[in-house]
Amino acid sequence: MSTVVTERYGLKVGTPALTSAGALAFGPAGILFVADYAAATVFAIDVADDAVPSHAPVDVADVDARIGSLLGVGRDQVKIRGLAVHPESRAVYLSVTRGHGDAAVPVIVRLAGGEPSEVALEDVPFDSVTIDDAPADDDERQDGWQSSAPEAGTEERVYNGVTLHIARVPLRHSTITDLAWIDGTLLVAGASNEEFVSTLRCIPFPFGDAVRSTGLEIFHVSHGKWETHSPIRSFIPFDSDSSVLASYTCTPVVHFPLAELAPGARATGRTVAELGSMNQPLDMISYRSGGAEYLLVSNSRHPLLRIPAESIAGQEALMEPDDGLPGVPREELPHQGVSLMANLGPDRVLFLQREDEGWALRSHDAASL
Amino acid sequence: MTERRLAWAERAGSAVLEATGWSPDELAELAPLDAAALARRFSVVPAEVLRSSPAAVTPMAGAFRLDGPALVFQPRFPFADGTDYAFLSWPDGLPGFIARAARELAATTAVAGIRPSTAELPLNALRVYVAFSAPMSEGASAHVRLLDAAGAQLEDAFVPMEPELWSPDRSRLTLLLDPGRIKRGLVPHEEAGYPLEAGGAVRLVVDAAARDSAGAPLAAPAERGYAVGPPERRRLDPRSWKLSGPRPGSREPLRLRADRPLDHALALRCIAVVDALGRPVAGRAELAEGDRDWSLAPAEPWGAEAYRLVVAPELEDLAGNSVTRVFDRDLGLPGDDPLPAEPVVLPLPPG
Repeated sequence: MSTVVTERYGLKVGTPALTSAGALAFGPAGILFVADYAAATVFAIDVADDAVPSHAPVDVADVDARIGSLLGVGRDQVKIRGLAVHPESRAVYLSVTRGHGDAAVPVIVRLAGGEPSEVALEDVPFDSVTIDDAPADDDERQDGWQSSAPEAGTEERVYNGVTLHIARVPLRHSTITDLAWIDGTLLVAGASNEEFVSTLRCIPFPFGDAVRSTGLEIFHVSHGKWETHSPIRSFIPFDSDSSVLASYTCTPVVHFPLAELAPGARATGRTVAELGSMNQPLDMISYRSGGAEYLLVSNSRHPLLRIPAESIAGQEALMEPDDGLPGVPREELPHQGVSLMANLGPDRVLFLQREDEGWALRSHDAASL
Repeated sequence: MTERRLAWAERAGSAVLEATGWSPDELAELAPLDAAALARRFSVVPAEVLRSSPAAVTPMAGAFRLDGPALVFQPRFPFADGTDYAFLSWPDGLPGFIARAARELAATTAVAGIRPSTAELPLNALRVYVAFSAPMSEGASAHVRLLDAAGAQLEDAFVPMEPELWSPDRSRLTLLLDPGRIKRGLVPHEEAGYPLEAGGAVRLVVDAAARDSAGAPLAAPAERGYAVGPPERRRLDPRSWKLSGPRPGSREPLRLRADRPLDHALALRCIAVVDALGRPVAGRAELAEGDRDWSLAPAEPWGAEAYRLVVAPELEDLAGNSVTRVFDRDLGLPGDDPLPAEPVVLPLPPG
């Protein structure tokens, strides 16, 4: 296959070999970042969406059945995993798994005027980056086999005067939980199926020939006393891209200044809210209304929560727990079954909402929330 | 009008849908139409969508062409087994239906192991692995449950993970016990306590309804019972492990007994033996039932040289305490400060 280097961002024309498609985010000039969570790889794809921008609201019932119809299966064979809105055309992009097991196929679907279409991935400008220390598919150590060294995957270290060829222990980022494009950098959060850690990767884009995506260790402090090292579920740029808000599995919301998130660093965030027990944060977005910025957090158990940004800036790191849920003030919004969220232009937000047997896409005026 | 017939056919190794029974007039009318024009006249959709949410009907991606007396639909994505399809022609819009046969699926995949393989789980246990004998479909975590002694399901014991945490070959599923409730000082723990109850007993049950990668259920359900012991909140201490030395000239496994049960996956790749030149010894590592006894069977006989055990700092116990770090660290306890992330290197005694 011949490859052509395009002018834009070092992308090469070809066919990105997605093995899965999860979180989505748009970067500069309509480049779509796709998390191939199963391969621990991020693809950057020029979707060349120069459609006339639509400023209409989005109101699509049974979006999973619509996509299933396009892909030739019932809605039980459709799993929507990622949602993003093209910054120019405002078309809705969804990542979908069609089918299960061996028959599962990742598909990127574009939705315009309620009509889904497949985003063709043949001969498109793209590039990819694999998270540095992800394991090889054929890593024999899975079944206990230890090979001799020196060879690939080992590093030489001197310890007490003795040279050791130590197998580099790969952090098993078998999943990518979220992506965000912040201030010229792609941030990637992952979860390992072995170590219980939180590593955030800052990946420069264009990816370049020799990408080394150095992770940084992320901690957060709760109640001024306990230091936690747990996986990030979802995160967003915040406060004019000067900081990052991250939500964690045990549902704290944590604030990090962007300047601290340097590769190889160890960052400790400020826990600004605890969203409660028996709950998993699903997605976060921020939006502006009436001159103020707000944060929305969708949850597996709890209702959709809204937190005013100004309260986050002024929130001390959480100290001793008090009655109820400590931290910044939050209010429950009435929208039911919200999972994935995106901004639809400056004045609207878009929710993927559970309705009856299926899923709907509903946009809401920011001023109405 | 002659009767329209729908049938499956194979073209270039994939299934296509053929509509036949066209009159000569109809064929003459269709013959000059290109794919785009044919797509305006005909569509194929999953019958379920047509029946349950007709407003959501979208033509299935693919291409029509006329091939002799047959109108052939080549789908963009393969037709799914066990699915009914509707063939629609316009302007009348009347559907004809045809079913793809469901495949006979033999239940051959089994649970190959549940780890930890200890009799007791610490109260603050963090992670459970379910290994299957073959690759699985996603969604298996919905079929793994934790039951109390009375057989009642412990709700929300596991963190819902999306995507699920699988090994790259999708044969081993990792489940996390809700870490919010493990962390001391975090509200969820204050509210709800640990998922487990000290002094109690739990059973981890894998239902047979979990699907393998071919879509078949498991051959049998599986389970493992545990007593619930006290919490573990100390760093792992490899220096306290009991080590046996390798016997020169033999291929007898080198054995060690850890100070407490280890995380199975991490033990297999975070512990290694190196020779006098610092090179890892090739062989098969195992963590025996009980998760405390690690061994390495060398591929070649042991030499007479001085071997060393190397323990990577990432190794964890069942509660997520590593060699360098206590899982839930009290900033007020200087003794719990993280140690440098260095491997622990221990000389092995003579065999």
